[in-house]
Amino acid sequence: MNDFKIIFSGPVGAGKTTAIGAISDIDPVTTDEQATDMTKVQKPGTTVAMDYGQITLDESEKIHLYGTPGQERFNFMWDILTQGGIGLVLLLNNTRPDPFRDMHFFLNAFQAFIASSKVVIGVTQMDLSRTPTIEDYHLQLENSGTKVPIFDVDARDKRDVSLLVEALLYSLDPGLGG
Amino acid sequence: MTSPPKSPVRLGAIGMDQRQLNALSLLFSSKCNNRYILVEEESAEICILDLDVFGGERLWEECRERHPDLPLILVSLKTRSISDSYTVFVQKPIPVKLLIMAIEKQRRLLLITTADEADLIDEETPAATEMKALERPDTPCEAPRAPPKVSRAASLMSVTEEKHFVGTAQDIDSNNPAQWEKIFYNPDHYLLGHLQQALNLAVKHNRNVAVEGPWPKIHLMAETHTVRVYSEERHLRPFCTIPDSTLEASLRLFDEVKSQASTFQEYPVYAFFWKLALWASRGRLPEGTNLTQPIYLRRWPNFTRLVVTPHAIAIAATWTEQPRSLVDTAAALGIPQRYVFAFYSATKAVQLAGETRRAVDTLLAPQSIEQSSRRGLLGRLLDRLRG
Repeated sequence: MNDFKIIFSGPVGAGKTTAIGAISDIDPVTTDEQATDMTKVQKPGTTVAMDYGQITLDESEKIHLYGTPGQERFNFMWDILTQGGIGLVLLLNNTRPDPFRDMHFFLNAFQAFIASSKVVIGVTQMDLSRTPTIEDYHLQLENSGTKVPIFDVDARDKRDVSLLVEALLYSLDPGLGG
Repeated sequence: MTSPPKSPVRLGAIGMDQRQLNALSLLFSSKCNNRYILVEEESAEICILDLDVFGGERLWEECRERHPDLPLILVSLKTRSISDSYTVFVQKPIPVKLLIMAIEKQRRLLLITTADEADLIDEETPAATEMKALERPDTPCEAPRAPPKVSRAASLMSVTEEKHFVGTAQDIDSNNPAQWEKIFYNPDHYLLGHLQQALNLAVKHNRNVAVEGPWPKIHLMAETHTVRVYSEERHLRPFCTIPDSTLEASLRLFDEVKSQASTFQEYPVYAFFWKLALWASRGRLPEGTNLTQPIYLRRWPNFTRLVVTPHAIAIAATWTEQPRSLVDTAAALGIPQRYVFAFYSATKAVQLAGETRRAVDTLLAPQSIEQSSRRGLLGRLLDRLRG
């Protein structure tokens, strides 16, 4: 049995649970607990543990989709979750007060994992908040030396989430298709 | 007797007199359970054209200019060979069964486009069985060329869509200048060129611009960075795909009229220019493009809100890793050049890509594309994601 995983991360309310559900073959396992801190204000069912979904390739191969807890106080779990991961899908909520800070925080937190794999960024809720734009996000990363795929994503839309993951796969191996 | 599908297939008849039209109408209602109806050409999904009418050849040419890829059934007393994959030929006098078979063949082209599986004829229906029985080697009906096998990378786009956006051009030998003229187009000879002028004007004055001409009404909205098209896309596309340097556009600055009575399709500017560039390009390159100069990609396109042509994501991943020439990109990825040319045309139109000007980029040959140790796994996952 060969098992691999893709990590979905991002701040509270970025759509990690929904995005995993959009492409998972199984009903996602969501260990949502009622939040007891300030995040309760932002999202009633905030994830304090993690989400899990699965894509079955064949009898002996599965891709596990793990969603990290949204709050920074759970970041001790992130290192464990990323071990053996294929890559990182970072989701950012465009309606948050400072999505750039969120982006830099998570890119920094997963720096080691990204260095050994790849990252793609999906910006959600752009229908509710049109700024910052996708171009603005790219400008934020201009000096990082890498060009990261950043897409406007509706986490409920399977095509959007699939394209984001496809960009991750092609970033890992551009010669993949054909 | 099978029940009719939810929506009958709309057929237009070109070059036919009233009697012929009446005969077809009677046939469709009495023998085909109203599976097909006759409509005006403009709203037709498939057209039947009689070549034997006076000026029939010209009608055919004009029809193809208006609708480059409309499924077409040509009928004539004289047999002929058709190489256009959107066209089938049926010799007159037309056996009813052969006519129905031809319509159904063209209808399948539509189904590839719309992917409306609900409208597919049940393979086990008597009509389908009858059509299968009619498939024989000596049929006078020229079968459309079989759609190419859809590759993994093409699976996001139907075969017909792919032809609209990428065309079918064969690779050229980049060392043979004689072949170059086939792969270039001048954006100024298409609606794309007029829209680019209009965009410059809108940016310069920070006002809306109306782009007026024989095409449907188009407004560039400065404040929202959107384009409004006051018509269906299929009425706009011919002006985007057919070159005509004689067409003149009138660009008019205007302020928003608060009550717009007519309906329109609204596109983000970026996505609209992307699409127009693909329609104009059809797998070719803007004139003056250097085939061997490395291409840079300023950043990844926002693919979730754009037409994603086959292999586009792979090309983007390649160019973000390292500038690479158009010809070399196709060779390195093992894909036909037209996919690279189409993607470059689109990214160039939205100013995401261009030829490198740094000497360093042409100093060394680009490195080969690094293969992931997990390529097999990643490929299987890609297949799953694309269904």
